[in-house]
Amino acid sequence: MRTFDYTAAASIDEALAALKEYGDEAEFIAGGTSLILLMQQGLVQPAKVIGLGNIKELRGIKRTADGGLEVGAMTTHRQLETSPEAFAYAAALPQSLGVIATIRIRNQATLGGNLVHADPAQDPPPVLIALDATVDVVKAGGGARAIPMEAFFTDFFETVLGDNELVRSVKIPPMPSGSRLAYKKFLPRTADDYATVSVAVRLGVDADGRCKDIRIGLGALAVTPLRAKAVESALLGQKLTEQSIKDAAALVRDVVDPLDDVRGSAGYKREMARVWTERTIASLAGVKAKA
Amino acid sequence: MKFEQTIDLPGVSPERVWAFVMDVPSMAKCIPGSEGVEDLGNNRYKAVVKIKVGPIGLALASEISIVAKDEANRTASLLVEAADKRVGGAVKATMSMTLTPAGDGSKLEVSTDANVMGRIGDFGQPIIRKKADQTLQEVGENLRKALATTTSRP
Repeated sequence: MRTFDYTAAASIDEALAALKEYGDEAEFIAGGTSLILLMQQGLVQPAKVIGLGNIKELRGIKRTADGGLEVGAMTTHRQLETSPEAFAYAAALPQSLGVIATIRIRNQATLGGNLVHADPAQDPPPVLIALDATVDVVKAGGGARAIPMEAFFTDFFETVLGDNELVRSVKIPPMPSGSRLAYKKFLPRTADDYATVSVAVRLGVDADGRCKDIRIGLGALAVTPLRAKAVESALLGQKLTEQSIKDAAALVRDVVDPLDDVRGSAGYKREMARVWTERTIASLAGVKAKA
Repeated sequence: MKFEQTIDLPGVSPERVWAFVMDVPSMAKCIPGSEGVEDLGNNRYKAVVKIKVGPIGLALASEISIVAKDEANRTASLLVEAADKRVGGAVKATMSMTLTPAGDGSKLEVSTDANVMGRIGDFGQPIIRKKADQTLQEVGENLRKALATTTSRP
């Protein structure tokens, strides 16, 4: 590995100033679970590594006044997995963090690092898309912007973040009354693998059994995480039955654009996207899945 | 890794496409991230192609040779040898192209056989294929635009 300078930034301003000074030669390090691997492989060779671990503003999980949840970028997966605040928000949220890799990695990897790394097979993005989360980004010299989770990723390993920006937190709005969340990760190989496909659904059903709220996030099914709007629109306002769920889930095939890899061919993943979308919606609707 | 690509160029005669494509410095402008094209003589050229995938930046020092050129049949083959010294990896590709008339314009068919070696290969073939596909699409788009703006004058 190439030698590099390390600075632990004490504040967001200090981190952004260091980033500006070193430009392309600098990388932020959060948990380091991805960056260090890329550095060991020699694929990324920064001259300057800026540590974010000492910045207090990037830490913490708190409920917001409106009943939402705000998670600091440097929160580890394990902290969110075991957070009473996250559990009180929606039990499936901390549970979805519990299926990431292994406990050692979850103790190290952070939510902000996970999002910025922008690997499309990661678990938090589809869950956060389903929860309508926004990424709170701070700019150098002041100013901030909120980016909807589904608009954050642009390509494999690429996000909309500018080279003078840093992720401060993730903001999740209050859960609509009566809605629930589920996350399913299809792991045909080993328990600590990346998902072959993954599906997160937030679903609300009214007293007549009609769908009144639905958001669907997908992982590992394209070069970025995706939102399955076509499936959502097909079900919103409709009665949730075995058949309506099956028909709507079939539309996911045209939403995804999977890559062939060791976890399956593009055709197989497209079919698994349909199966797991159907199962995830059905599990929340209390309906038996046909698939 | 093999790639097949067809670029339709309506309204542009095969003569013009051939002249443009065989002029490596002008063709290189259609390749995203290419810089500093140098003519080494003898149908050999040098260029640097910069590719970025998230935090990973490659600067591929490339040598391009036109190994065969048949103007009568409008077919050519190119050898591209590129290496990134910093990351430690290389790409060797042979490209064959065939240019034929199609309607009022031309059709350029390009087939590429690329070998990716060293650390660049650690990326994984699916990502490399996707990225290469995207790049080839962009080259096709840029070529269409370049030929549209240099419309033949009477």
